[in-house]
Amino acid sequence: MIIKNNKDEFASYLTDAANFKGAAEAVYFPESEDDIFKLLEMSRAKKTPVTISAARTSLTGSAIPQNGIILSMEKLNKILKIDAERKKVWLQPGVTLADLHEALAERKLFYPPDPTERNCTIGGTAATNASGAKTFKYGATRAFVDSLKIILSSGRKIFIERGKIFADNGKITIPILSGGNLEIVLPDYQMPPVKNAAGYFVKKNMDAIDLFIGSEGTLGVITEIVLRVIDFPEEIVSGVVFFQNERDAFSFVEEAREQSYLSREKKTASEIDALALEFFDSGSLKFLSEDFPNIPPEAEAAVWFEQDVKLSERENITEKWFEAIELNNGDAENSWIAMSLKEREKFKNFRHAVSVKVNEYVASKGLRKVGTDAAVPDGKMRKYFYESKKIIVESGIKFIVYGHIGNSHFHFNMLPENEKEFSAAKEIYAKLCDLAVKMGGTISAEHGIGKLKRDYFLKMCGEKAIRQMAELKKQFDPFLILNPGNIFEKKYLIQI
Amino acid sequence: MKIAVCVSHVPDTATKVNIGPDGKTLDPNGVAFVLNPYDEYAIEEALKTKELLGESEVVVISLGPDVNKETIRKALAMGADGGVLLKDENYRDSYAVAKALAAEIETQGAQLVFFGKQSVDYDNGIVGQLTAEMLGFNCATVAVDFKLDGDKITVEREIEGGKEVVETSIPAVITAQKGLNEPRYASLKGIMAAKRKTIEEKEAAAAENYTEVLGMKKPPEKAAGKIVGEDASAVPELIRLLKEEAKVI
Repeated sequence: MIIKNNKDEFASYLTDAANFKGAAEAVYFPESEDDIFKLLEMSRAKKTPVTISAARTSLTGSAIPQNGIILSMEKLNKILKIDAERKKVWLQPGVTLADLHEALAERKLFYPPDPTERNCTIGGTAATNASGAKTFKYGATRAFVDSLKIILSSGRKIFIERGKIFADNGKITIPILSGGNLEIVLPDYQMPPVKNAAGYFVKKNMDAIDLFIGSEGTLGVITEIVLRVIDFPEEIVSGVVFFQNERDAFSFVEEAREQSYLSREKKTASEIDALALEFFDSGSLKFLSEDFPNIPPEAEAAVWFEQDVKLSERENITEKWFEAIELNNGDAENSWIAMSLKEREKFKNFRHAVSVKVNEYVASKGLRKVGTDAAVPDGKMRKYFYESKKIIVESGIKFIVYGHIGNSHFHFNMLPENEKEFSAAKEIYAKLCDLAVKMGGTISAEHGIGKLKRDYFLKMCGEKAIRQMAELKKQFDPFLILNPGNIFEKKYLIQI
Repeated sequence: MKIAVCVSHVPDTATKVNIGPDGKTLDPNGVAFVLNPYDEYAIEEALKTKELLGESEVVVISLGPDVNKETIRKALAMGADGGVLLKDENYRDSYAVAKALAAEIETQGAQLVFFGKQSVDYDNGIVGQLTAEMLGFNCATVAVDFKLDGDKITVEREIEGGKEVVETSIPAVITAQKGLNEPRYASLKGIMAAKRKTIEEKEAAAAENYTEVLGMKKPPEKAAGKIVGEDASAVPELIRLLKEEAKVI
């Protein structure tokens, strides 16, 4: 196992995509389950905190330690087996999404969870229940994780297959591979009924596997994953539609969303059923206009949509979208439709580029990203958008908004110019979180809590729920060495 | 004025190509075909010129099998007014392609013709020039800027280490280089309108090939990399190899 002790050699492991900074003594690069086992043994003996690190594309500091050692999963990066017939993939957690997509494409298979950053690892996406543009149709990572092999901090191993172990009466019994059971008491808080990545997944009669997906590395180390995949779409209709105001863009989205839900209910493949619905405000478009000079200058908002279709339905579906665009005052003359895979990739980049540009901008000012990740129930989407926007406009701080509008999930990104504005931006962030919670939403629909959003999460679910979550972690990790500080502050682990 | 754009249907440079069983042609199975990237600039320039002139018409011409219609369809969705497919299933060299295109351009009565500077399949880069010569048209190649003022044409050409400005006049053939413009995406309106436009199909004018493909070979496989060691002790050996084997330091 390679070990890096020299801080100069592992500086990149101490910061993530949000520019969150940390500290550690060393980075370990296990090459087998046995390496992880030994490393945990050592950490238990010395009580050294272990922070699991994947690709650090996270925006919450969840992979960045404050002390202790880093367990990098990057050498465990093999795709072990692809079963095209059963549509399943066995892999190690360090496989990147880009590599998985490539390997699957060769076999005409497809993995829908599509976090915007494709250099993320599958282990990272399982630990955070990552989602992305295609979540609107296919759901988040959770929906595609079939089984997990996990080492607990005690060194004991568990293997959980979806559909085998369920909660009963607030309790869940998980068999340990070497014999015996873990009897786990579950927290009893209620998750908001929206796209959500905040805290542990807890539900009545839940599947045991869901407890680990999105647990941010606090319960165990994932060492192997089995994913469900689907057939590669025959064709994808993809377009970027421009609007002269946000109102029209919202009407377009609401119509497309309603139609999509209806199509899924009716199981029809000949109507609008969006794969992705992504929103861009005028500020985002200005950011992008340097790389995409074709953006119409009068556009005040844009929506990127995708729909996977049968080849025979391509023309019919394109026509349906055309009708929806015309009906909602979209600029049909200047909207873009991809005529090739290359153009489709360009549109995807359009979405990716905006978040990269924000991260670059913030880093160039030496500040940290202040971007919301809240989602609200669909019926509250407009209200939440306009009220949030009003709060930021009044502050005078520059901002842009984009996001997964299909799930009523916006990223308001404040662009502070200096420390003073940065502090003000953080206050606005808190207000926007409060607003989302008040409307029955979540403070984090996809990024997770990590270390950056703990305070807001505490406000969202209350201290009692946080204590129950800490209690849950202790049942799996009584040594309190795995990813301490993620989801809730360390003090909750000690105080109970 | 009638403006013609000659377009080619080529394998996407991102797809892996295989050589067919005859050892002389590409195996089209599993290969994604696209509109030749340089032709996108040619179409955009033709459309821009049409928008500037008002009273004019853009016709797209492609030579090849039936599947080329997909590429013509894309040009129509971008805004071209009409399309012609010159049908031929067989291999043609640049001369034979130019011969058929020149005949069609003459039939169409086009006075201004845009090409991509080369197609990315065979990369000969001479069909535009050959066609101009056969038609007796002026010709400016590798254009990165194009201006039309009455009959007068001013073209900025990319040349080794700089740019060259040439003047000529209609009738002319212009071949487009990357940077000439920013090709538009097809709009929804364009796609709907394209459905009503017809693609005229006719046999390509017969012409003899002057060259023959004797064989095709893939470039040799890249050799696997070498790992010299994993820690500082490997550095002297690494330096020796970089000096003596790779000869890069």
